[in-house]
Amino acid sequence: MEEYSVIGKRIPRVDGRVKVTGEARYAADYSMPGMLWCKMLRSPYPHARIVSIDTSRAEKLPGVKGVLTGKDFNGWTWGWMPKTRDEPPLAVDKVRYLAEAVAAVAAIDEDTAEEATELIKVEYEELPGVFDPEEAMKEGAPRVHDYVKNNLSWDFHMDFGDVDKGFGEADLVREDRFETGRVITGYLEPPAAVALWDSGGITIWAAKQSPYFVYRHLAACFNLPLNKVRIIQPFIGAGFGGTKNDSLAGDFCSVLFSKRTGRPVKFVYNMHEVLMTCRRRHNMIIHNKMGMKKDGIITAMQSKVIADGGAYTAIGPLTMYLTGSISTLPYKLPHFRHDAYRIFTNNPIGAAMRGHGVTHTRFAAEIQMEMMAEELGIDPIEVRLKNAITAPYETINKVTVHTCGLKEGLKTLSENPKWKKRSGGSPPEGPLSHGVGISGTAYLGGARQRGHQSCGAVVRLCEDGTIDYLTGATDCGQGSDTVLVQIVAEELGLGVEDVDIKRVDTAVTPCDAGSYGSRVTVLAGGAARNAARDVKRQLAEVAARNWEVDPGDIIFKDQRVYVKGEPEKAMPFRKLAQVACYAGSGAVIIGRGYSQYGIEELDFDKGIGNAGTSYSFTSQLTEVDVDLETGFVKCTDMVIAHDCGRPLNPINVEAQNQGGAIQGMGQAMYERFAMDLGKTLNANLADYKMPLSTDVPNIELIDIITDDPNGPYGAKEASEGSTVSSPPSVVSAIHDATGIWFKEQPVTPEKIVMALKKKRE
Amino acid sequence: MAMKKIKFVLNGETCEWEVKPWRTLLEMLREDFQLTGTKEGCGEGECGSCTVIMGGKTVNSCLVPAVEADGQEILTIEGLAHGENLHPVQEAFVEKAGMQCGFCTPGMIMSAKALLDENPEPSENEIREGIAGNFCRCTGYTKIFESIQAAAEAMKGGK
Amino acid sequence: MVTFYRRLPKMGYVKPGSLEEALELLEKNPNGRYRVYAGGTDVIPKLKGRVIQSPEILVDLKGVSDLDHIDFDEQKGLYIGALATVRSVETSPVIKERYPILSQAAGSIASIQVRNRGTITGNICNAVPSADSAPALLCLDARVLLYSKNGGERTVDITDFFKGPGLTVLQPNEILREINISASPENSRSVYIKLSPRSRMDLAVVGVGVLLTKTNGTFRNVRIGLGAVAPTPIRALKAEAMLEGSEVNDDLIINAARTASEESRPIDDHRASAEYRKMMVEVLVKRAIHQCL
Repeated sequence: MEEYSVIGKRIPRVDGRVKVTGEARYAADYSMPGMLWCKMLRSPYPHARIVSIDTSRAEKLPGVKGVLTGKDFNGWTWGWMPKTRDEPPLAVDKVRYLAEAVAAVAAIDEDTAEEATELIKVEYEELPGVFDPEEAMKEGAPRVHDYVKNNLSWDFHMDFGDVDKGFGEADLVREDRFETGRVITGYLEPPAAVALWDSGGITIWAAKQSPYFVYRHLAACFNLPLNKVRIIQPFIGAGFGGTKNDSLAGDFCSVLFSKRTGRPVKFVYNMHEVLMTCRRRHNMIIHNKMGMKKDGIITAMQSKVIADGGAYTAIGPLTMYLTGSISTLPYKLPHFRHDAYRIFTNNPIGAAMRGHGVTHTRFAAEIQMEMMAEELGIDPIEVRLKNAITAPYETINKVTVHTCGLKEGLKTLSENPKWKKRSGGSPPEGPLSHGVGISGTAYLGGARQRGHQSCGAVVRLCEDGTIDYLTGATDCGQGSDTVLVQIVAEELGLGVEDVDIKRVDTAVTPCDAGSYGSRVTVLAGGAARNAARDVKRQLAEVAARNWEVDPGDIIFKDQRVYVKGEPEKAMPFRKLAQVACYAGSGAVIIGRGYSQYGIEELDFDKGIGNAGTSYSFTSQLTEVDVDLETGFVKCTDMVIAHDCGRPLNPINVEAQNQGGAIQGMGQAMYERFAMDLGKTLNANLADYKMPLSTDVPNIELIDIITDDPNGPYGAKEASEGSTVSSPPSVVSAIHDATGIWFKEQPVTPEKIVMALKKKRE
Repeated sequence: MAMKKIKFVLNGETCEWEVKPWRTLLEMLREDFQLTGTKEGCGEGECGSCTVIMGGKTVNSCLVPAVEADGQEILTIEGLAHGENLHPVQEAFVEKAGMQCGFCTPGMIMSAKALLDENPEPSENEIREGIAGNFCRCTGYTKIFESIQAAAEAMKGGK
Repeated sequence: MVTFYRRLPKMGYVKPGSLEEALELLEKNPNGRYRVYAGGTDVIPKLKGRVIQSPEILVDLKGVSDLDHIDFDEQKGLYIGALATVRSVETSPVIKERYPILSQAAGSIASIQVRNRGTITGNICNAVPSADSAPALLCLDARVLLYSKNGGERTVDITDFFKGPGLTVLQPNEILREINISASPENSRSVYIKLSPRSRMDLAVVGVGVLLTKTNGTFRNVRIGLGAVAPTPIRALKAEAMLEGSEVNDDLIINAARTASEESRPIDDHRASAEYRKMMVEVLVKRAIHQCL
């Protein structure tokens, strides 16, 4: 193994200091002289025709500078694919979910803007709504979009091998219905932006984890060339997919108000607005069927997924793709059939969230596999080891795995003393029952998305030997800026303090798809390395000329440059930078790099090929104490054995795994939107229960090093993997404590008590 | 509904100011004083992002009418460091990766500071209780516990 | 129409320097023109969300001196002033020692930040059925002292104070000046158990307070207070009567717990079903009694 100076070290975050002092500025922290405030008026009905809108009273309120309605956008709509552009900035003819934006006000301050929204009169004709996807699929159900039959937003099908043959070969076949729950990303920073339209076009300071998506949306909406749309990235108060990967009513309205008034325009959503109207994880009903031989070998799996898509398509087609295409990992599946249906309803919009698509179907398959193992008398780890893939491996749908640490992870956990504490069904003495659960899951890293593959880096050498590093990749909190700086520093033999990473500015930084699908370290990391190597190559030529040696013999290390085997031929990096930059006219050292990993085509319609560049594997042990009388669950411990290839910054990888696992635990134990006829009943942080400091377990982390060839320095993804592994592991532990299999998330105290009562009766 | 005159000490400096009675302390800090380190998450006292120390006690500044700052001593995240020198709690959060996106961080650090002022050697359980009013969605809290423990260690002997 | 407000409605603010001055304002208080607040942790979010009618003027009680007291006297018992914060009640040494149930209940409310501002009197004046301090105060036979203009003063037993969700006997011209609790019976033991999905920062799905004395193997001075299982916090009087004077035994405890459950009248809502709440009353009353033995 090569010895690195910066890579693999526990280096504190490069943005740590500005974040602990309060200096780091987030979108809502920006303000400008003459700035207006934009406020949305939203619909009180989940499904209604807009008969008329009278904005005259609002316009007359002193301080109001403009009012917008859907018609002001001239019929423009956006969506993830050309054929799914179904979402307008403001509702035009009808509203399709409760609190959809119907109008917007710009005023001199936010108080006035809020007051003015009360003066807008909208006449609605209420329409019957549909809120249950299974109801919405039926003939005669109300249509959310008039042109869409049976409310089918998107469907996706895979059929590999012969599932009937597979089930025929099985000794045991089970069919179960699972439901994954209505949860939301849970970032604490409500979306916000300040938009400015001037002769240079649009400039917007907006909280976006994929700024280049919004850049395309704004260019299309306002019919501007891309070089007139500038998105400047503030710090981002977390993303976790969905809303901050996308555009919002507030973005479009602020920009249009700025165009009309010539003044900067700001909006900030509030937390109720986030929890009621922003994109959330799809709730999915999964009918899963699995066949297994007596010895625990899986013979076939068939899944039918019905996803509540809500009112618009958003990124839903990719969600559906991921529910199936990754189901063939991490256990061998000789026969597999998958039918996924995304259904429009009058609920808020379903979209991407950490563990995108995979967490749903993997939860169903993991639990069902363990239920069957239990019926066959096979240990939960044993059944996983029997079916787990080993690298190299190609699945039936041609997903290629070069490295896989699953078996090693599972074996490590099986030897952990905590695993020995399993109750295995023996009843406790008091009301408190201890349980230990397990899971073994996979997730893709370096996600590639149709048409948005671009990923580059520019490394500019300053004449004093410091480095300006430009990337379009977005750090929304995960720590990627630090890892990317480490990569640039490592290549050039510098320290992280010598490299400055600039925040994304679409006018300056190279195009990138942003933060989703665990792609930044793998893809932007590859680009950063290549750009740094380009600079190194140029500098090595200068040094080689200077010392009359071969450029291949120039070594960059510890902020110095020297010739291999000739220690007297050496100079500080700073000195070489000066020599290179002053060596005649035109001597500007700029390095360019692109990610070159995994660029083969995938078949998006059939689910064939690699949606990821590489795949991470997570084995997780979870311990819980369940109060059998109250149903209260305390998650006490987790042990996570994670194969991220190689941790480039171990402290950061630990932090990602801890955060991801706790987010998954929230989904498994606490979090759910209570809905009634399209209304979110618990749109506040007291009632939408995310884990707090007093709820989280002790977490032990184990790195399984596999050094993947398709990642910088062997790295794969870290973080989404543990969001996927956590729910089945928690539910497996609750089963161990209670003897009951829960197939719907979250497993609340009430569900536990009622299930135990039913079992007794 | 006249403006109210108030006088208070903000991060060690005496301020005289006029505020509308319907302004919150959070709005005054962020909009009038440009102290945007204090964040607004939920705006209703549930997330803890807006935590500041008023009269030696942590409060959700989103729930405090700005006029109530009158006569008070207020400390925000911007007032913790001394010039280039970070407060030990800030230092520990950097070293131990106690933050990710950083949005909850100012409020979290204020809660941690108040905890350590009151209880210089907290157990892990006391740390958990001390920051139970501050959500963090990124870290899963473990690294925050470690940061606060490290800060307590560093502050031993009244440093 | 739906607007998600971030700003408070426009209103005035006064900070009277004395209770008389505050009561004077309330006396001429048509249509809720004035609204009194202490900590503001409840009223401010409600005003932001336009959940309650905006007053023209907020009346900040914190200008009134001598209202943040926590005083104890062996004869008169405990006095908690209208401005005593939840946190000060939670951490008060005398309350911890003499009335641990109240200290526990106070400590289970929201966050430290909220407890540093919010008051115990505010907690009961809001009269949410799940108010954590209420079962404790019910167990302690607390009395509330309500003042009005010109020396108007009345004392109301806590059992008569709550009238419905968000409703109390407090009149628009009155201020709850203080809470009085007699010295607890000697050797009494008490506990408050709160059940919620999360460990902290959560609303009680069920809250149970129990106070009792065990004298020569029999139950004495039994009080059972229940939160979040009826339109108001309630006492489980039948269960108390079953235990009072009876010999301590497990079957009796089980029966009393079941009786308390039957006395509860919870509703189904998005937090829990009525059936679950009733079941939990039984479990928690049983546990609380055992913890007091």
